[in-house]
Amino acid sequence: MPELAEPAVAQAPSTPPARDPGLARTIKKRWRLWLRTLHRDIGYLAVGFTVLYALSGIAMNHIDDWDPNFVAGETTRKITPIPATMSDADAARQIAEAAGVTGKLDDVFRAGDEVRLSYAGGAKVTAIGDTVTIQHRRDRVFFRVADWLHATRGKQAWKYIADAYAVLLLYLAISGVFMIKGRLGLRWRGATLIAIGLAGPLGYIVLSGGPGAQATERVAARPGEVDPPKPRADGITPLPPDDDAAKRP
Amino acid sequence: MRDPRRPDLDRYPELQRSWDRRQFVKSAAVGTALMALGGALVRLAGDDLSKQARAEKRPDGRPRLPPGQRMLEVLRPMGGEEGDGDPRSFKLRVHGAVKSPFEIDYAGLLQLPQVEKQADVHCVTGWSLVGGLWKGVQLATLAEKAGVKAEARYVIFEAAHGYTANAPIAEATADTAMVTYRLNGKPLALQHGAPVRGLVPDLYFWKSAKWLTGIRFVKVDEPGYWEVRGYNNHADPWQEQRYA
Repeated sequence: MPELAEPAVAQAPSTPPARDPGLARTIKKRWRLWLRTLHRDIGYLAVGFTVLYALSGIAMNHIDDWDPNFVAGETTRKITPIPATMSDADAARQIAEAAGVTGKLDDVFRAGDEVRLSYAGGAKVTAIGDTVTIQHRRDRVFFRVADWLHATRGKQAWKYIADAYAVLLLYLAISGVFMIKGRLGLRWRGATLIAIGLAGPLGYIVLSGGPGAQATERVAARPGEVDPPKPRADGITPLPPDDDAAKRP
Repeated sequence: MRDPRRPDLDRYPELQRSWDRRQFVKSAAVGTALMALGGALVRLAGDDLSKQARAEKRPDGRPRLPPGQRMLEVLRPMGGEEGDGDPRSFKLRVHGAVKSPFEIDYAGLLQLPQVEKQADVHCVTGWSLVGGLWKGVQLATLAEKAGVKAEARYVIFEAAHGYTANAPIAEATADTAMVTYRLNGKPLALQHGAPVRGLVPDLYFWKSAKWLTGIRFVKVDEPGYWEVRGYNNHADPWQEQRYA
């Protein structure tokens, strides 16, 4: 059997060719620069969103102290009660005089002991017995729309725009951690400040007991109230009969 | 005399920037702390009403002010997607597990038996309004008119833009629970749910749906808008059932 001839072309080596050492070195040397460049540009992109979300967030966070959306007012005046037999036009004239409201009257609505006037511009004037209540409100500049955008409920495209902004914020947060090396970075200052930043929410969760915490000040059950049924050893919780709605926990 | 802690910036001008930044951070921290302290003092100083309400007892023996609540003197608007607020277009649908479902307009609602009751309301965000005089129609009246079936165990408050809130039927048809259109003799403002809102005073106030459009009696519980978003399904203020 003839010997196989030597291949005309030498076999390719089994190991892949070494990568260009220059590229690896470039990546190693420059990744922080790219990180910073992206951080800077995304930071610019995020300015408008951040101002909008931060201010509206503060505004809505304190919703139990002020109305972040509207400036509303309510005043009352006394009036001679409007007889049921009085015409709408006369009733409206008399109420408007008592209320001191002028403007284009849009609607007069009567039900029960109420006479309600609606004015162009949104003012509502309601006469009940001998009292006229004047209610009006106007949008707060900036906050009305900012709060509307912030609370994504019921909006379609904005939900995804807000998601994209959240992703950008994540990039800003994470890239910020690695932007600077050495003692000003993760070796000391950065790590310390990150720990302080994390301590805020973690500390609050620990100290408050978190969302599942029960009230520390327990209040006695109402008289006649029965304890909710407890599960048996076999895991089954006996419930009151279906028609006994009042006792159902 | 020069502050000994301050570096000699004339001699070492390269330290100027980091010194300035340090001063800025210190000033910002002190300013924030002072603002927070001021806010806390203002809140504490004006809170005699809360102390007074905390000391009072309800007829059922529970404190008038539930734990973790503070008193306000006026109702706060807490947002939400408003309905049109127009009594002319108002319709309330009473339906579900009932023998005779019906729909009623505003004038019709005012012709049903009316009640005016003093009730305290408690917002999950921590404020309470006590002693408000609410006028409306008891849910028990609506339930009776619709002929609620024995199988019904929960009430679903339906409101503008698909908002819902659920409550056990016993609490929703309690003496002070009603559909209300007047507070302290005045019509409800739009931001407070005009023309008609629900009122279940013994549960956190989000259960008292604003811009009410329907009352549905159901056999199986249906957690509502906030209940599926991390808030407690029952929402008893005296048990601080704020979150799920």
